[in-house]
Amino acid sequence: MKKGKITVTITIAIACFALSTIMFMQFKIVNETDITSIESMREEELREELANWKQKYKEAEEQYQEKMQRLNEYEEKEQSAEESSKMVEKELEQTNMYLGKTQVQGKGIVIKIKDTDNEGVETITAEDLLIIVDYLKLAGAEAISINEERIINMSDIVYVNNSIIYINQQRILAPYVIQAIGDETKLESTLLGNGGYVELLRNIGFDISIDRQNKIIIPKYNKEISQKYIQ
Amino acid sequence: MTNKKMISFVLGMMCFALTIGICIQIKTVNNNNSTISQSYEESNLKAEVLKYKEKYDNLLKETEKIDEKLKEKIEKATENNSELEEANNQITQGNKIIGLSEVKGAGVIINISDSEIDANSVLNSNDLLVHDKDILNIVNELKNAGAEAISINEQRLILTTPIICGGNIININGERIGSPFTIKAIGLPETLANLSRPGGYVSTLQERKVQVSLKKSNDITIPKYTGVLNFKYLSNVK
Repeated sequence: MKKGKITVTITIAIACFALSTIMFMQFKIVNETDITSIESMREEELREELANWKQKYKEAEEQYQEKMQRLNEYEEKEQSAEESSKMVEKELEQTNMYLGKTQVQGKGIVIKIKDTDNEGVETITAEDLLIIVDYLKLAGAEAISINEERIINMSDIVYVNNSIIYINQQRILAPYVIQAIGDETKLESTLLGNGGYVELLRNIGFDISIDRQNKIIIPKYNKEISQKYIQ
Repeated sequence: MTNKKMISFVLGMMCFALTIGICIQIKTVNNNNSTISQSYEESNLKAEVLKYKEKYDNLLKETEKIDEKLKEKIEKATENNSELEEANNQITQGNKIIGLSEVKGAGVIINISDSEIDANSVLNSNDLLVHDKDILNIVNELKNAGAEAISINEQRLILTTPIICGGNIININGERIGSPFTIKAIGLPETLANLSRPGGYVSTLQERKVQVSLKKSNDITIPKYTGVLNFKYLSNVK
């Protein structure tokens, strides 16, 4: 009788041990599986990253070809003083275009934002405009203006007394018209769709329209560009 | 007799638990198999990304060589011609403003990094982190204070550089950067230092316990932009 009891106890003990070991392994594997869900997300990120770099490479190649062509042109026209001075003038024109010192045109989108009329409801802030401009840059906008104020590299969009928006030290009033030149589809889709900033503002109750246009004219920056401190 | 029944019952239960355990085990192991192929795919993707990054970098280096040659050509074409020399000066100065060449000058250096306070000890732990919007606001205030050139972690900001990218990692000129951030700006140091005035964005960050410091410097170097700047959709209106 005593012997039987001991055998039983030992059997149960072994079974318990086996069970707990398996449980332990189980927990470990389940933990690891949690990590794999992050890894599969990473794969998606990687795909995005790859597409991103492929696109950047393509752009770099286009730039390379364009510059190569320009160099060849210089070499061809080197002998003629008149021709090469034309090239320099063209160069200066391009520099001024990148600076924002020329009136430019191209296809793109026009965003019209009506501010809400209701008192006490949220209004469009300088930060909203700042964020929209930043998203437009993200989508590859080549020229941007808000209410005919050209956005250059050092343009600021500030909120004075939490009520008045100033761009390039110029007061801007509602309704806001933002023009952007670039790939219309990219520009539009970056603001709309899941989590798009315009979509977000629309959900709060702002009346915003986006129109694609084939010919948008954006004025030049009409002040001196400050360059006193850079050497 | 009842004792024997008890024992069989207990053993039966245990067998049942074991079987379930084993079943779950097998299922998870099966799932895990698929992740092995996934990580294989992943390393492939990683290699591919690196390959393109390298190709891109090499191409930019090549482009830089062409830039040098172009510059020589322009110099040559403009010498002995005062009118064209003036144009050349404008191009050189313009490139500094655009961000296509390195610039030096006086200004401020702002260091920002996530707070070291334990995130569990405060109500809103999100406040302790530096977000893309914070950087966007700082940069905007610097521009408002008359900054003429700005870089973030040695990446030059040009007209087409976006800052927003989502969360607290920002992607500037193709480089992913996270906290700590070093923002350099060239301009009148006294005006730029105004960012730390009460109500300025630097003090707003300080109130949030984010680590931020601003110091003036007379000797700041801001590198040139190293990415692609080639407009495709834009043309000058004559």
